[in-house]
Amino acid sequence: MPASSPDSIVWRMPPMDMSMPMLPGLENALPPTPPDLPLQDPGLLSAIPGEVLTLANGDSLYLTATPVRRQIAGQDVVMFGYNGQYPGPLLKVSKGSTITVVFQNALTEPTTVHWHGLRLDNRFDGIPGMTQPPVEAGDDFVYELRFPDTGLYWYHPHIREDVQQDLGLYGNMLVLPEIPDYYVPVNRDEVLLLDDILLDENGLIPYGKEVPTHALMGRFGNVMLTNGVTDYRFEVDRGDVVRFHLTNVANARAFNVNFGGLPIKVVASDLSRFEQEAWVNSIAISPAERYVVEVLFPESGTVAITNTIQAIDHFRGEFYTHIDTLALAMVGETPASPDHSPFFAKLRANPAVSADLASFRDHFDRPPDKSLTLSLRVRNLPIPIMLSMEIDTLYVPPVEWNDAMPMMNWLSTGAQVEWVLRETDTGLENMDIRWDFQVGDVVKVRIFNDPRSFHPMQHPIHFHGQRFLVLETDGNRNQHLVWKDTATVPVGSTMDFLVDMSNPGDWMAHCHIAEHLQSGMMLGFSVKPPPINR
Amino acid sequence: MISVVYLILLALPSPTQPSECTDDYYAIDLIPTRRVPAARQAEGSVRLTFVPSPFGVAVDPNGSYRYNLDVQVNRLGPVPGHEYTVWLSTPNLKEVVRLGPLSREGHIAGSVSWNKFLVIITLEPEGSAPVRWTGPVVMRGLSRSGLMHTMAGHGPFEQEPCTVYGYY
Repeated sequence: MPASSPDSIVWRMPPMDMSMPMLPGLENALPPTPPDLPLQDPGLLSAIPGEVLTLANGDSLYLTATPVRRQIAGQDVVMFGYNGQYPGPLLKVSKGSTITVVFQNALTEPTTVHWHGLRLDNRFDGIPGMTQPPVEAGDDFVYELRFPDTGLYWYHPHIREDVQQDLGLYGNMLVLPEIPDYYVPVNRDEVLLLDDILLDENGLIPYGKEVPTHALMGRFGNVMLTNGVTDYRFEVDRGDVVRFHLTNVANARAFNVNFGGLPIKVVASDLSRFEQEAWVNSIAISPAERYVVEVLFPESGTVAITNTIQAIDHFRGEFYTHIDTLALAMVGETPASPDHSPFFAKLRANPAVSADLASFRDHFDRPPDKSLTLSLRVRNLPIPIMLSMEIDTLYVPPVEWNDAMPMMNWLSTGAQVEWVLRETDTGLENMDIRWDFQVGDVVKVRIFNDPRSFHPMQHPIHFHGQRFLVLETDGNRNQHLVWKDTATVPVGSTMDFLVDMSNPGDWMAHCHIAEHLQSGMMLGFSVKPPPINR
Repeated sequence: MISVVYLILLALPSPTQPSECTDDYYAIDLIPTRRVPAARQAEGSVRLTFVPSPFGVAVDPNGSYRYNLDVQVNRLGPVPGHEYTVWLSTPNLKEVVRLGPLSREGHIAGSVSWNKFLVIITLEPEGSAPVRWTGPVVMRGLSRSGLMHTMAGHGPFEQEPCTVYGYY
């Protein structure tokens, strides 16, 4: 691999469906920001698969972000990795434990680490300019992490997520329960991080150096990655019950995950189990969300785990089925031992979750305390894009499952697109919003995703440092209560979030489509400690 | 006259200043065909909400949205010995599902897992349950996704005729 220089990086148009004609007037258009990629260096080490680290209370972990060499879909590319791994190491910890992470930045650009979903000490949330200064190249930062809630979490940068996270800086944290029957017995666990990446025959499509490209819809990849590879597979016995811990770490893509048509039991999500487990046939998982599900593999053979979507072809004005294989389960002839199918067959109610929810039910039916509208503004986009998008918005789907306009999306940058969280009462927008709460406040936030904005899209909204319930969607009470930190507001929908302001500090809430976040879609809120009684 | 027009314009939603919590974007307007005298003044709409799901948005394994439909029609005059029956269909009419007769109040609820579809109300003999409609179409509507039309022969791509892409 020869070394490269910044001058060698040039814009290349993202791969497009060849039946989709180029929008007239855009043949030679380029994003109005310099292209950027990690530089090739013969001295870079090849990344290795992520390791599993079981950490006890009080343990320390050394975590380093470095450039690494990767082989993806036949391409030799330079990406980033935590501890030289893809994905970053899986951290297994017990509920209630505290660990120390000594983080070193061996990149050539600033970064931080955000510990997504943890109700941790605010000082260690990883938000540059809010909870800590950026960790400059060559510097380090010590994080102290506490794990108050059983569940599945993940860590990633909070500076230029659209680039650094996309290049491989992500890993899971699995917080193990303190009671033995928290989950039913299964034959094995599989932790799957779902991602995509945008490649052509010359490698990675460059990123915007100063601002993100793909600011309208987010950067959809054309190559699917599960645990960092394109051909992830695992072996199970016939009749095995497998518990899957799923995390969507993609910049923008929502997945509809199928297990070869097998029934799926939904057990838990971000910060808790569901109050009542449910059977589903597929899992719709948005960026930054997590779901814990169980699947029984009754027959020997190969089961393809797929992302099956109805994509949109705007040129033809049609939906069409698009299927990507995410992983393969190789089911052997040996019968499962022990047989956990009786546990699998039953849906459980979780009284502990109900008890936890009990004190919040009084808040379910009261009016919202805060109200937000999701929208956007654009300026100086090329005229053909403006004209075409006005036609496009005759219909916008509730969820964009694919990049239906790759050229227009690529050309839109954070300099031209501003995604907006607007407070209904005050008209304040984005980081001009600064809510003040106290620990113990229970806050109902109503969020409306305006379908008549210039280019509406679904937004996975993430509240840092707290947990919330999705109470209602479009006036319908949610029957599937679970504690979340990220939930998607589809286009045209109004959703009520009930946020448990339990954790003091200065926090953010934002859209977790990386390019939307980088294009302004974030607000701040402060949770004050309870007053001291003298 | 000018003031009347002005007031009408004020009442119209501006594309840049939407009203709060508008939730009718995906609603389907039902348009009377005027083929049945008792239903010429009818007006109605279909409200769509997601089928309850642990994931908020509801899709089937194939990726199609799963909607609950709430059909409400007013000003339908009675026709002795007949009932107004609601049907769902794919746009090409290959698949048709009988949702059922409207109540006396002009209401029926159901669900659908198609991304593009028609809602059709016909006048059928009372108590009949045909697989396909036999009577006249009284009202019809198209899901919002039906506004997605090929750009092959239109707008910026007009140099390429629709017929190349199978549209006539």
